[in-house]
Amino acid sequence: MSIKRGVFPIVLLAIAIAGGVLPTLVGSALLLTLLTQAVINAILASGVGFLVRQNGLVSFGHAGFFGLGAYIVALSATYHVMPIGFALALAILAPALLALLLGLAILRLVGVAFSMLTLAVAQAFYELVLHWRELANGDDGIAAELPPRILGLDLAMFQQPGSMFLICWAMLILLLFGLRLLVESPFGTLTLAIRENEERARFIGFETIVPRAIVYAISAAIAALAGVLFTLYNGFVTPNVLYWSLSGEALVMAVIGGTRAVWGPALGAVIFFLFKDAAGDLTEHWPAIIGGTLIVVTVLLPRGVSGTITMLLERLGARAP
Amino acid sequence: MQINRRKVLVGSTAATLLSVARPRIGWAAKDPIRIGVPTAISGPYADLGNQVKRAITLAVDAANAAGGVDGRQVEVRYLDTEAKADMARQQGEKLALSGFNLLTSAIASGEALAIGPQLARWDALYVSTINKADDITGKSCVPRMFRVNRPDAADAAVVQPWLKQQKQQKWAILAADMAWGRNSGMSFKKAADANGRTVVGESYSPFGTNDYAPYIQKIADSGAEALWVAITGRDGITFAQQAKQFGLFDKVFTAGVSFIADNQVNALGDALKGVWGIINYSSTLDTPGNKAFVAEWEKKYPGTSPSNFEGETYVGMQVIFQAVQKAGSVKPGDVAKAMAGGSFDTIFGKQLMRQEDHQLLGPNFFGYVGEVNGKLKPIITMTVPADVATPPPDGSCKLAG
Repeated sequence: MSIKRGVFPIVLLAIAIAGGVLPTLVGSALLLTLLTQAVINAILASGVGFLVRQNGLVSFGHAGFFGLGAYIVALSATYHVMPIGFALALAILAPALLALLLGLAILRLVGVAFSMLTLAVAQAFYELVLHWRELANGDDGIAAELPPRILGLDLAMFQQPGSMFLICWAMLILLLFGLRLLVESPFGTLTLAIRENEERARFIGFETIVPRAIVYAISAAIAALAGVLFTLYNGFVTPNVLYWSLSGEALVMAVIGGTRAVWGPALGAVIFFLFKDAAGDLTEHWPAIIGGTLIVVTVLLPRGVSGTITMLLERLGARAP
Repeated sequence: MQINRRKVLVGSTAATLLSVARPRIGWAAKDPIRIGVPTAISGPYADLGNQVKRAITLAVDAANAAGGVDGRQVEVRYLDTEAKADMARQQGEKLALSGFNLLTSAIASGEALAIGPQLARWDALYVSTINKADDITGKSCVPRMFRVNRPDAADAAVVQPWLKQQKQQKWAILAADMAWGRNSGMSFKKAADANGRTVVGESYSPFGTNDYAPYIQKIADSGAEALWVAITGRDGITFAQQAKQFGLFDKVFTAGVSFIADNQVNALGDALKGVWGIINYSSTLDTPGNKAFVAEWEKKYPGTSPSNFEGETYVGMQVIFQAVQKAGSVKPGDVAKAMAGGSFDTIFGKQLMRQEDHQLLGPNFFGYVGEVNGKLKPIITMTVPADVATPPPDGSCKLAG
């Protein structure tokens, strides 16, 4: 936020273009597929981070929205219940609507109680797909029978790492741009005010639950978008996309990246994903390395990687004549 | 041309370099065989993953010590899938795209079913050595997927005649809630129907269950005289321990598949004594190939003999090596071509890889856990020959080209 207003779009544009030419530079299909998955994770983490930033709330259940988006696409494609375009829209809108209604009910709760309820809701969906074998083939997962063309594009466009990376990258850039506009709008300022002191906001005449529920719904829609991209790319979903460990990972990504900047969680996600992959190559006990690193990051960089970058930039800026 | 010291020096250095380099160039001209193993290194099936690793290590070390296969070195890389389908897909992709594109030996059937549709995209092939779900060589078959181990249908073919001889009328089923367990439960029900037995209870426990008390209680309450179990790995051990404490095996006659596998017996000892089950491979098999294999095994891993899953995985390695030799190539497409319809020398003898569905034909066995030389071990009492044990393809697999 402290970076000057005009700078953000320019930097974002530069990063967007840099990402856009990446597939032509990267020869390795393996690296490209990793980057594609990292960007999908970045979108999910952005949703989680946005909720922390605007509402000051920690969700342990964003895998629920991610998985719901993923399963709605996979199931509607497999059972041919509706055209794929509708399915994609529904996969993003239904989790958002669910979050809105849920938010109106549970946002009155604070802290751990809220986090636990988000966890419970997500786990309920997990148990549902795990046990309702006739619907989604349980633990073994379901291969989505996606149509050959989606929104006018060949299915292969979504399933080849080179082209899918570009699609996901464009989505991420648009998303960050949109979030930036949102947090700088009056609505963004209002939700920040509510986050800082809800009582005072109410006292000066603002309704405080609905704006927070809207933030929750937006963050759920972002997670669902990531889930949709996940299904399009992999063509295969298992109940693990709804499991709490994914919610936890998304939160870890947001913490590593830092939530003060809207782009922080996305950066954290890419770092986390590539780091996890490298650690996984090194040892079977990679979760221990991740855990250790997380402790170091939270102690040494309390504002996350993005917070540290911003701070360094500011210092440089202050020194310049 | 004047010869001076420098020219001599340069010339001789070059000659030395060439002579050193030549065998290397010759070696490098043939690509190594790169085997990718996405398997369970952690989680409830980690012990099965460990057995896979031991069998592959033996096969690869022996091949490299003998100068490689088809003049190629064999390299192998393992990545942990925790026996989860989505992880298998991820790790399989990673292995295949990093050049380890001859994939083999995932544990859960769901893993193979997740890998199968991706094989063409990754330009890889997959050889199942543990996965039993019929769909792998049935409706989900793909040109790049093969199976050397016995599918569920082959287990059912053994259960049918065995069940006929059993006096128990009322049966309960307890199986893992995954592709294989569901498949096995369904097949057993069919076998029971065909033999006029009734299934009085049917339960499926999730992968990684820690508390089997509710399932045990349900079986005891169902009035079943006998129980069919399709649970393995750590889950199988947990269930057997709790069932033993409950005295279930004393009240209810018990048999199963992958339940009395060697490592289960080693871990549980007396708890499994007298339990019946399907045996897909036994180290006691009387074929020249198996005798050589067991001897080699005992030298490498003193004090042990190859287990059910170790034997089956070793067959997979034999088939892959022979197919590479036959193809003269390590390209998955070429190896797949050499595999389909081919005949292979394995520890079971000569085995055919069926063209229609990519299932290797092999015998199957039934037996119980008993004492051999003071040691508990699965003992074979019934052998079903390959042509009966591997039922013909049911037509659900359509391999184009």
